[in-house]
Amino acid sequence: MTEVRPTGAGPNRSTEDMSAGEGAKMRDLDVELAVQLDDRLARLRDHLVAAFPGLEVSGFRGELTLVAEPAQLVDLLAFSRDDPEVRCEFLADLSGVHWPGGPRVESAQETTGWPSYATGDEQGRIEVDYILYSYTHNHRFRVRVSVPDDAARLPTATAVYSSADLMEREAWDMFGVVFEGHPNLERILMPEDWQGHPQRKDYPLGGVEVMYKGKTVPPPDERHY
Amino acid sequence: MSDTRAPATAGAIWGDESERRSALDPRQLPDTRHEFTVVGGEWQNLPDAVDDDLMVINMGPQHPSTHGVLRMVLTLDGEIVVDNRPVIGYLHTGIEKNAEYRPWTHSVTFVTRMDYLSPLFNELAYCLAVEKLLGISDDVPERASALRVLLCELNRIASHLVWLATGGLELGSVSAMIYGFREREGILDILEHVTGLRMNHAYFRPGGVSQDVPMDFRERVEVLLTEMPRRIDEFEALLSENPIWVERNTGVGILTREQCFDLGVTGPVLRSAGVAHDLRKAAPYCGIEQYDFDVPTTDTCDAFGRYTIRIQEMRESLKIVRQVLDTLPGGPVMVADPKIAWPAQLALGPDGIGNAKEYIGKIMGQSMEALIHHFKLVTEGFTVPEGQVYVPVESPRGELGYHVTSSGTNKPYRVHVRDPSFIHIGVLPVMSRGLLIADIIAAVASLDPVMGGVDR
Repeated sequence: MTEVRPTGAGPNRSTEDMSAGEGAKMRDLDVELAVQLDDRLARLRDHLVAAFPGLEVSGFRGELTLVAEPAQLVDLLAFSRDDPEVRCEFLADLSGVHWPGGPRVESAQETTGWPSYATGDEQGRIEVDYILYSYTHNHRFRVRVSVPDDAARLPTATAVYSSADLMEREAWDMFGVVFEGHPNLERILMPEDWQGHPQRKDYPLGGVEVMYKGKTVPPPDERHY
Repeated sequence: MSDTRAPATAGAIWGDESERRSALDPRQLPDTRHEFTVVGGEWQNLPDAVDDDLMVINMGPQHPSTHGVLRMVLTLDGEIVVDNRPVIGYLHTGIEKNAEYRPWTHSVTFVTRMDYLSPLFNELAYCLAVEKLLGISDDVPERASALRVLLCELNRIASHLVWLATGGLELGSVSAMIYGFREREGILDILEHVTGLRMNHAYFRPGGVSQDVPMDFRERVEVLLTEMPRRIDEFEALLSENPIWVERNTGVGILTREQCFDLGVTGPVLRSAGVAHDLRKAAPYCGIEQYDFDVPTTDTCDAFGRYTIRIQEMRESLKIVRQVLDTLPGGPVMVADPKIAWPAQLALGPDGIGNAKEYIGKIMGQSMEALIHHFKLVTEGFTVPEGQVYVPVESPRGELGYHVTSSGTNKPYRVHVRDPSFIHIGVLPVMSRGLLIADIIAAVASLDPVMGGVDR
């Protein structure tokens, strides 16, 4: 449980469908990418995993990430705030990342620039990241929860950190994540009557009409540059 | 509009409206508990005013003292604020979404437009995040890091000066406004001289800075360093003893240490509650730990404390600028890796700044490979390993964090900006309860929100 598993935010990559050579190469790359957590973060990781045995731990570029289940989120945040060893008084950031289901662009080829597609998960996900910081101990780590993108529901963190109020409204506005128990879950950046959640990857972008023979500038994801 | 009767006076219009509204069955009305729309009218006709003596008024988004387009829906009991609900989003431009469809380097020009009073901090945090994802944080040349620190500290002074100017104007001190903007111009002149633009510089790039500073950079900063301390003293003499300034700021906008922690408040506002927290000390970046400076704090928790802290911070920033200038190392200003370093052999031509003649001659006349490389780097950019990082820097307003996700392609998968102004807007309901309307102005000014950063 306590091993440091490198990855970043990508969908769970399975190495089963790769050939053995590629899998080994990928693992080498992972080892290379995994920067060792410093002693303080390693101790913190052990402490948190001892308290919440179900946590999945990963590290990337010296940052500690704990992947939690939505059900244990509020308990974990409250523990992180109140426990003297962790003592994160400050919720620095709350943001989402949308990983839609189906194939997605994994890399662009070096020579042609043409994208190669990797098989993603069947079910699209929205990852919500909470960055916690401790003024007392000067450490920072990330709690990540993952919810399906067609039924994105999470418990609210406003009871633990009041600052989550606006950030959760932003996450609702941009990703459509419903924070159950939030006192006032309204749109915050987009107008009240807006349809859709703009930061989702399946949100249509729309092109630009130009005044030349009815031409249109295509949306940015369809342009060839 | 469908009403065919032509009302004779404005009073008749309002009369009709209230009549029409009272005729409706309240159970059939849509749920408007969270609706911020406030319809004007004769106050005795408004059911709220008659029932509970509370009045709801809009302050902004066009109000001159709300720092741009901040709209506050105030619930008032007489002149005392019972509730304050900020409404934001008028400047939302979708910069985070835009960044997802451009190569990594192009996004610098976007993020610099978020918090337009501290553009260099946005660029810095974004570039540090990209460098961290690439794993080249240690490869950035010393000179680039030193220049980043120097220019950022100049930017911090300029930002605090605008805060003094606008904050002063809002409390009636027109002199502070004139002086503040005047001193700021001196700093913007230097930034313009270095980057080409007064604001929205796009000077920092992943891997370093776009080009070296001009030959007379040192002289110009020296002039500023000799002038600026006297100007800051002038400010202090103007305001610190001014009874109106002192009375209107003291005890206004109280935020205690616990409230700051709970509400996520950072920067000068947190330091005014006695917490000596500064990311330049707690998590140093760009080698800022090698310079000697202090973190000023007070324990007054009010707007006046924030004023004194910002004044002292300007002096501390000057100290840092002095030290960087004395120890400015030579060498390149961009990482050596040609797959990342933007081609920046720039020179000033008759039609403005552009690629240097020798460079154009090389890629157009001599080396096909160099041309291909240039073309691919500019149009396609570089790929960044898959991962997610959070990089905070200490902007003039507090913790500015860039939460950048890469999926391994040549474009960011997601860029989220934790802007301190956005978080500080959430403080307004707590901060303004029980204040007078006039004190709201001072309280909002002491937070120094920049709406470009709030709405992004």
